[in-house]
Amino acid sequence: MTDAKAPRRQDARGRAGAVSTLALALVVAVAPVAAQQPSAPATPAAYAIRNATIVPVTGPRITGGTIVLRGGRIEALGAQVAVPADAQVVDGTGLFVYPGLVDAGTTLGLVEIGSVPGGDDTQELGDFNPHDDALTAVNPTSEIIPTVRVSGITTVLTGARGGVISGQAAFIDLMGWTPQEMAVVPHAGMVVTFPRVAGRRGGRRGGADQPEQVDQQTRALRNYFADAKAYADIKARLAAGQPGTQETSLPMEAMVPVVRGESPVIFDVETAEQIRGALALADSFHLKVILRGAPQAWRVADTLAARHIPVIVGPITVTPRDEDPYDLIYGNPGVLARAGVRIAFQTTSASDARNVAYNAALATAYGLDPDEALRALTINPAQIFGVADRYGSLEAGKVADVIVTTGDPLDARTDIRYVFIRGQLVPRTDRNTRLYEQFRARPRQ
Amino acid sequence: MTQNTRYQTPRGQVSAALALVVIAAFAAAPALAQRPRPSQAPEPSPRPPVPAAQAPAGAPAPAPQQTGPAPLAIAVPPAGRLVAITNATIMTATHGTIPRGTILIRDGRIAEVGPDVVVPPDAQTIDAQGRWVTPGIIDEHSHSAIEAVNEGTNSITAETRIRDVLREDAGTLYRQLAGGVTTIQVFHGSANTIGGQSVVIKLRFGLPDDSLVFAGAPPGQKFALGENVRQSNFQSQLGQSRRYPESRMGVEEVLRDAFTRARAYQREWQAYEAARRALRRGQPEPVPPRRDLQLDPLVEILEGRRLVHCHAYRTDEMLMLLRVAHDFGFRVATFEHGLEGYKITNELVAAGTGVSTFADMWAYKLEAWDAIPENAALMAERGVLVSLNSDDDERARRLYQEAAKTIHYGGASEEEALRMITLNPARQLGIADHVGSIDVGKDADLAIFSGHPFAPGSRVEMTLIDGRVFFDRNTAPTLENTIEQMQHQPPRRGGRPVRAGGAQ
Amino acid sequence: MRLVPFARAGIAVLVPLLAVAVPARAQGGPWVLTNVRIETVTRGVIERGTVVIRDGLIAAVGADVAVPADARVLDLAGKTVLPAFIDLTSSLGLASTPAPSAGGRPGAGAAAAASAGAEATPVGLEPYRVVADELRPAAADVKAERDAGFGAVLSAPNRGAFRGLSALVPLRDSAAALALIRSPVALHMGFQPVAGRYPGTLLGVIAYERQAFYDAQRQGALLDRYHASPRGMERPASDRRLNALVPVVRGELPVLFAANNENEIRRAVAMAREFNLALTVVGATEGFRALDALQANRRPVVVSVDFPRAPEVTGWTFRAGIRHAPDDSAAADSAARRVIEGNAAALNNAGLRVVLASGGVLRPAEFLANVRKAIAAGLPRDVALEALTIRPAEIAGAADQLGSIEAGKVANLVVTDGDLLGDSAKVGAVFVDGVRYEVIAPAAPARGGTRGAVGAGAEASAQVGGGWTVTVTTPQGSQAMTMTLAQSGDAFTGTMTSEMGSLAVADGQIAGRTVTWSVTVPMGGQTMVVNFHGEIDGTHMRGTAELGAMGSAPFTAEKNP
Repeated sequence: MTDAKAPRRQDARGRAGAVSTLALALVVAVAPVAAQQPSAPATPAAYAIRNATIVPVTGPRITGGTIVLRGGRIEALGAQVAVPADAQVVDGTGLFVYPGLVDAGTTLGLVEIGSVPGGDDTQELGDFNPHDDALTAVNPTSEIIPTVRVSGITTVLTGARGGVISGQAAFIDLMGWTPQEMAVVPHAGMVVTFPRVAGRRGGRRGGADQPEQVDQQTRALRNYFADAKAYADIKARLAAGQPGTQETSLPMEAMVPVVRGESPVIFDVETAEQIRGALALADSFHLKVILRGAPQAWRVADTLAARHIPVIVGPITVTPRDEDPYDLIYGNPGVLARAGVRIAFQTTSASDARNVAYNAALATAYGLDPDEALRALTINPAQIFGVADRYGSLEAGKVADVIVTTGDPLDARTDIRYVFIRGQLVPRTDRNTRLYEQFRARPRQ
Repeated sequence: MTQNTRYQTPRGQVSAALALVVIAAFAAAPALAQRPRPSQAPEPSPRPPVPAAQAPAGAPAPAPQQTGPAPLAIAVPPAGRLVAITNATIMTATHGTIPRGTILIRDGRIAEVGPDVVVPPDAQTIDAQGRWVTPGIIDEHSHSAIEAVNEGTNSITAETRIRDVLREDAGTLYRQLAGGVTTIQVFHGSANTIGGQSVVIKLRFGLPDDSLVFAGAPPGQKFALGENVRQSNFQSQLGQSRRYPESRMGVEEVLRDAFTRARAYQREWQAYEAARRALRRGQPEPVPPRRDLQLDPLVEILEGRRLVHCHAYRTDEMLMLLRVAHDFGFRVATFEHGLEGYKITNELVAAGTGVSTFADMWAYKLEAWDAIPENAALMAERGVLVSLNSDDDERARRLYQEAAKTIHYGGASEEEALRMITLNPARQLGIADHVGSIDVGKDADLAIFSGHPFAPGSRVEMTLIDGRVFFDRNTAPTLENTIEQMQHQPPRRGGRPVRAGGAQ
Repeated sequence: MRLVPFARAGIAVLVPLLAVAVPARAQGGPWVLTNVRIETVTRGVIERGTVVIRDGLIAAVGADVAVPADARVLDLAGKTVLPAFIDLTSSLGLASTPAPSAGGRPGAGAAAAASAGAEATPVGLEPYRVVADELRPAAADVKAERDAGFGAVLSAPNRGAFRGLSALVPLRDSAAALALIRSPVALHMGFQPVAGRYPGTLLGVIAYERQAFYDAQRQGALLDRYHASPRGMERPASDRRLNALVPVVRGELPVLFAANNENEIRRAVAMAREFNLALTVVGATEGFRALDALQANRRPVVVSVDFPRAPEVTGWTFRAGIRHAPDDSAAADSAARRVIEGNAAALNNAGLRVVLASGGVLRPAEFLANVRKAIAAGLPRDVALEALTIRPAEIAGAADQLGSIEAGKVANLVVTDGDLLGDSAKVGAVFVDGVRYEVIAPAAPARGGTRGAVGAGAEASAQVGGGWTVTVTTPQGSQAMTMTLAQSGDAFTGTMTSEMGSLAVADGQIAGRTVTWSVTVPMGGQTMVVNFHGEIDGTHMRGTAELGAMGSAPFTAEKNP
């Protein structure tokens, strides 16, 4: 009769109730001043979360374990780890410790209210903007960032969309005074939307023009890469001392690391044809490839696995095409993972980024292994963006992006009790909770 | 404590204890009696057919199939007289969860439910071992399956009826069935202060559109306030005249004027009826007033015979409508979205007005800026009748996940969360006598989940309406079986078989 | 005789409009057609008989009719004469507006209407609009219809909700001789919204129509009351819209309602029931899905043979709930096509009287080609002939004048050298009101095709016979094939040869510059149908090959020298 499986609650309700719980547990209260600034002078030197079930992701679970955070890093974790004397203690009895979650495709910090153009920096005019840098436009005091953070998402990829080449996306922690402080990988990948045929289903006589337009755009993209390669080659020769000059072109400069295979290309693709086109382009120019979106990637899963091409799937909360089976979007990640493809998840949103784990949860109902889903939200994106040595799992020495929960983070019923980013405790208040507390206090009639 | 249910990989799995055994006559059923309708010969299944359930002894042989428009029709699911769902964890929504029970369905209604129900030998049985059964999900705010949504040319279009523009073959209905939805209210859009008449339908996918309509559901009307009505977010087209109102103040004027006219119209007809009754022989019949299809539904609202559902976000506009309603003597049934409803729970409770809202969507419009994900739970805590809706074909498929969110945002109980997508919307729509919970006498509208509906890793395996199976994952086209079929295809020219995952 | 001036007038009008065709020669009577096979439609077939035409009427018809001395004799041995066809879904002579596609999707015309921009022509809410006052038929349009065997069309506007009052128009060349057969015939209606004002969507249109009918009922009652005894009663407002609708709601003026898909048909029939309208459904391309509603309406059905594509038909998406092979959409498509083409047969089998119509979209040659498809799909040939002649005459209220070869009826006749509804026989001559119009098939292959076609069917069919090199472009690369075709009229046959071998070209059709055909590709135990459709420009073709579930690929073709 009772909700036997519901998470245990203290005296107050839900997540906002955790604020009062925290006040009891901590010796020094964290002042919830502005949205995301690190706290005032009384920051503890270290935190120790005691007697919790620790899920490192890259290792086996530790029950009744302790994890210590110091200096922005994970100092130690284990069943027998001692609690340092100067550490703020968090009682983790009945709670779980996970690495911070990652949304590998957002517009977080680039847009505030969707319908208000003044706050929307997600798109630039023109088709080819490789020199656009998402990081420069990130608003560190966006009201949306705290609402995402308190749901346990500590790190996101954020970037512009639209056009053909949208510029560099940035991998950022959701804490910092400036975008540069937030950056984990300032240039995490060059976003390219591969040309596609629109409206193939429409019309009584399918327009012969449309495939031609796609051919044209593909050729233009290819030519752009060829130009960039030529530019990079000349630059290298000049740098090696050969005589000559080359006029600096900002877009071409931005393309140099890409055509040299140093910076990956993130291809936004929807159809199987686009995937093939993207791989063909990558082959021609020896690019490092990340596929994103890719609901039809399951068709070429073996190929992607063999070539070690990672896929950032999502959003899972979209409908498939009319001709697709009803669970195509839900089942795609599982097929990829089982074939050995490294996957991560994206929501493509700002205000919806807090739901990235629930996106993954939908996929676990249709064939994605839950452990794999957790990896896709933690270690996989760290590997994809080249920071697996510092991010993505609970290991001594890694950056302390850590969350403490009442259960599985993929479970929509789970509470996220504590969030640490770079070892600092994130205040559990945001715009939403402030309004909640305010109106909860209104007297009833 | 953990909610992790280890999900079993689907490929080639036949889980020993978890086989869902389905009525084999699914494809061999006689055509629907309501309307002579060509039915379809069953498509050859690529897998061996699921073994038949205990076939009822002495059951009549299935009627021979008429050949009809094969790809343009669907096998209508059979109406089993007696159906039993056994060994299930039953979340009733009204009287808790039965850990291991049986639901007996007779003629489309729930005849018995409980741990000790005796299953008659002639019942067709669905063994739901390990499964969870909930009432079919009710989506109170949808725009699915229609050919037009917004008659936005006038600010009052109360004469239009969504029922007139239903289209029964919208693929989204099937996809929503696959998400456990069984009943939806289909609305006019929110472009007008007073929009069109809504319709409540059951997702009987495969049947003609007048078989979708929920018989006996009270009629409803769509109202709207705020940015959409003011057209704040749409650039006015060149050559198109601007439409009044363009401010929230204008909206109130439109409403008061409309109901004033409706009152006058009502009195006109009352006077006419009185004059006719008082007529003496030889006197000429009075001239009837003009029948006004726009004012008819407004009179029904004044007389409490039609439910008012109003799209609104901000407290000032909601309070305005409550005042107008109070002045004209009618009740607002629900605010749709009502994202600031948590601020005025006292007023909502006093007015007896419910709210149908989102779990956590926000920040897409200025009027959604004060939205909080605790909205639903907080309103419910304070006594408002709250439901969660989709307003979207895609969200409708996962309302169970949306409901689960209210547990950690705002601490709703599991029971309350389930009610927000079942009993509460049923009450808001005035159909709670028929649907919304698993209770004896109600329609057998049920969703069978592979696990706890709020647990990650759970999905809908089967959906029934009136005791008939309208969605069954065993026979549905899935990504899994598509891949299997592709692997069994003969080699294309070039000699290599077409494989999922292979380079094509 | 007035032969020469007619001919001159014809040439003066027609030569600037036609690139290659030879102007028709129109000739007045009296005529005697002898030794001819006569399909009377209502009185059986006379294998060898005589038809006398005088003063625009059929004076006599029979096996043993005396030949009058003052008539020109035409010995039509080996030929057949039928009543000229009648199309009830025309907009001939009205200001050109893009006709909406008759495919299953409603509202498609609304998009076309919206994009057509502001129009001087009325807006689609005029039940009082009299087509007869506006008719300005273009000679080329008239000729195109007539050359295919048509003698009269019912002309009405094709857009909007209350479209107007139609007129039955004889397909004569001379405007002076344009004596309409009947007007008004019916009020034409549809579910199409109007651009830029209320009602702007289907929602509004239905409500608007219902309100208008309620208002018309009231108006009629008020007018009756006033006329019976005006004393003491306020004079009813004079509203031409309502006044035009009063006879409609009394069932005195019939309604021809454009309704194609299943739901449109049901909505139209429901409206007829609600307001007791004498309503005939026009279009009904999904009539097979609404047989019960059409039967309940108890009236004949005007069936368009502008077949919708399978994915447009209501119920196509029901496949979302059925498992099917990954590339079965081609098979499902052809199965669906059989059902769609069998629509008229299904209605006929259900006991409904059927009229065949072009839907206002198909050019005459396409119309007859699709009629042949309907016959191939199960509509009895004689029923089809009735559906083109006497049945439309009945609906148009002209059964005493048209639709069969009987003495006293108007001499609208078609002379052919074979079965016009079978394989493509040629039309030799058409009589309209007893005036003979010779039909001469276009001669040489079109040089580079005609450009800027004026009226429907005014251009000659393109020529595709011969050898071609076809290149299909897929993401994997291009595939070249050779193709050899033989053309016969608007149809062609042939083979496509590739590394897989030779495949037969099926369903080869040419309509103007549009070329369509299909090949069936065997794949192991299964087959896939590939549909080609493209435009031909002299020695060059471009178009799309539809590969079922694998999508589509563009192709080009070059004529081999």
